[in-house]
Amino acid sequence: MYDFNFAPVVASFDQLLLGAWLTIRLSCAAMLLGLIVSIVCAWGKTSGPAPARFVINAYIEIIRNTPFLVQIFFIFFGLPSLGLRLSPNGAALLALVVNFGAYGTEIIRAGIESIQKGQVEAGTALGLSKLQIFRYVVMKPALRTVYPSLTSQFIYLMLTSSVVSVISADDLAAAGNDLQSATFASFEVYIIITLMYLAMSIGFSAIFAAIDRMAFKYPLSR
Amino acid sequence: MSISRRTAMAVIGAGLMAGMISFPAAAQTVESIKSAGTVKIGMMVDFPPFGIMNESNQPDGYDADVAKLLAKELGVEVQIVPVTGPNRIPYLQSNQVDLLVASLGITEERAKTVDFSKPYAGISIGVFGASDTEVSKPEDLSGKTIGVARASTQDTAVTKVAPQDAKIQRFDDDASAVQALLSGQVELIGVSNVVATQIEQAAPGRFDQKLELSQQVQGIAVRKGSAELLEAVNAFIAKAKESGELTAIHEKWLGSPLPDFVTEAK
Repeated sequence: MYDFNFAPVVASFDQLLLGAWLTIRLSCAAMLLGLIVSIVCAWGKTSGPAPARFVINAYIEIIRNTPFLVQIFFIFFGLPSLGLRLSPNGAALLALVVNFGAYGTEIIRAGIESIQKGQVEAGTALGLSKLQIFRYVVMKPALRTVYPSLTSQFIYLMLTSSVVSVISADDLAAAGNDLQSATFASFEVYIIITLMYLAMSIGFSAIFAAIDRMAFKYPLSR
Repeated sequence: MSISRRTAMAVIGAGLMAGMISFPAAAQTVESIKSAGTVKIGMMVDFPPFGIMNESNQPDGYDADVAKLLAKELGVEVQIVPVTGPNRIPYLQSNQVDLLVASLGITEERAKTVDFSKPYAGISIGVFGASDTEVSKPEDLSGKTIGVARASTQDTAVTKVAPQDAKIQRFDDDASAVQALLSGQVELIGVSNVVATQIEQAAPGRFDQKLELSQQVQGIAVRKGSAELLEAVNAFIAKAKESGELTAIHEKWLGSPLPDFVTEAK
């Protein structure tokens, strides 16, 4: 039998925690920034001018039809030749935001299109401003409709972030690979980081469920 | 209660995974390889000129030639399995390959996990950087960014000599580390003389060697406890050195005869 020996992994557990902490920070930042990108692009795609729609469509098609690995290589190794040099963690964040933005845009666009035209007209009739209509009449119910797909995309983003170790960002997967290469206890390390990713996914799911209850329960509370 | 049920399922799933990979890391014998008729040899295909994919998309290079010669010696077919730097030892341990001819540097740490043959190849490792970067001793690495391939011998060598405030960036392979040097993401990289030769071909005159860190001999690796197989491999290496076949392969791929520190090493 393969001899499981968790001692070296336990001894360097702080390294893994440090990696997990970066994964969490990276994911949270990418979720927030990615959500902003998605909302802006979804607005542009549904009611922006034609050139903006064209650019947004091109962005979505390029990102959704190329692998994340290629995108992150392009940002880290390609952009310096255009004069933009990012640290590994900065490049990782940018790549995650750009990647999530494309998927998030389509999800939110679907939500926006689920809002009937009559609702917007009712808002106009009540004398709401354009921004107020977008925020209260369109965005909030739209987000509520697509919230489940949005949160699973968020979880997917967190899991995708394990790829950023290829550009030497110090996330959990990188910490695991470093530890694995130092101790050769590969199974032990991968079992532990699998459990850590699982714990983070479940934790994020719980937070999303709480946000759901706080932000979107309004019609039921009456 | 749906969340707690999901959590329970997840825990069971993780337990199953742990169970699935606790297979025996069995010793390998010459007999079982001969009766199978094929020897599965793990080699890297991203480590030119030791391991590459050739024009017809087949594994080729120094390691491939040695692997084929070894299979011929054993009188069996060769099946080459591509592996990468970080996963090559797990491939061997998990019975997915019989042997590694994967430019695996012989180190004490690795020898705890696998058994090594006598050296069949060797490389020297150094720190390389742009010609105008001034580094002449390990202390000069202070404050510099140095790219290395994670889990490689050069990773260990650079980590050992670099001062605390040197930033070591670990990439998945040499190709990424070299790319980081060429695109200016790191100032220096720790690589072998072999890779340095290719950098010189790609960008003549831009980079040179700053420090030599070590000479490293590489061995063919087998699973722990495969003494009889190891003996056969050692006999093969001794014979190939004697007959000049190994030197011929070295000439073909590296343009020089087998280095003395490989030939003379025990």
